[in-house]
Amino acid sequence: MKVTIISIPVRDQEKALKFYTEKLGFIKKKDTPLEGGNRWLTIVSIEAQDGPELLLEPAPNHFEPSKVYQDALMDAGIPYTQFDVEDVQYEYDRLTNLGVEFSMKPTEMGTVKVAVFNDTCGNNIQIVENL
Amino acid sequence: MTFYEKELNRIRSIVYSNEQQINAVIGIRNYIEKNYDVNLNLNLLSHIQCVSRYHLLRLFKKYYGLTPRQYLIDKRIEKSKEQLKNGMSVTETCFAVGFESLGSFSTLFKTKTGKSPSEYRKEQLSRSKLNSKS
Repeated sequence: MKVTIISIPVRDQEKALKFYTEKLGFIKKKDTPLEGGNRWLTIVSIEAQDGPELLLEPAPNHFEPSKVYQDALMDAGIPYTQFDVEDVQYEYDRLTNLGVEFSMKPTEMGTVKVAVFNDTCGNNIQIVENL
Repeated sequence: MTFYEKELNRIRSIVYSNEQQINAVIGIRNYIEKNYDVNLNLNLLSHIQCVSRYHLLRLFKKYYGLTPRQYLIDKRIEKSKEQLKNGMSVTETCFAVGFESLGSFSTLFKTKTGKSPSEYRKEQLSRSKLNSKS
């Protein structure tokens, strides 16, 4: 078995695609139309294009418990998932300039530095740097 | 402050309260990051940080979740991928990232990435040719 995909629930796939590519810097990998305007939509890191794909999944719009869970995480400030970066402070400054909202500024936590931002699609996302 | 941030603060005060230990393991990680291409050994590392070899191993594993040796191997494999992608030969790459035997490099590379270094190199080079054509 291999890990090739992780999914992230989003309220609006097109908006998510724009945010994850234009602000965060991922690139689109797969885009297949499904029924009802839904898509099988995945993105990858530019520097690891054959690495794991991130599936932008419209689950909260079709399955109520997914929406409830996503809302609860959002309210508590808990990240849905996290991405590795070289320099958290640099990304914090870059993304803040692009209008991204952070619920937690760069914070040291033992051997890592982390920060948490809102992906505008229903999730908190954490970025992490190994110290 | 969010529930999450409060929880981080609470956990930090319990798990990461020993600043001296944290600084020591961060120092070791930085040392490996800068010197992965030379022959590192734990005795040297423990001299630098003035702790016993065994204690160093235990501390590093406690904070990073893997041993310094495993961390070093992952670092070397990551760097070797970059070199192979840039077209460096397998043998040159092996020594450039600090491995001392071609056999152990190839075996480790295959275990970690699922491909041999030469397969990986061929694949990456043909991919970059395709990209430059399109």
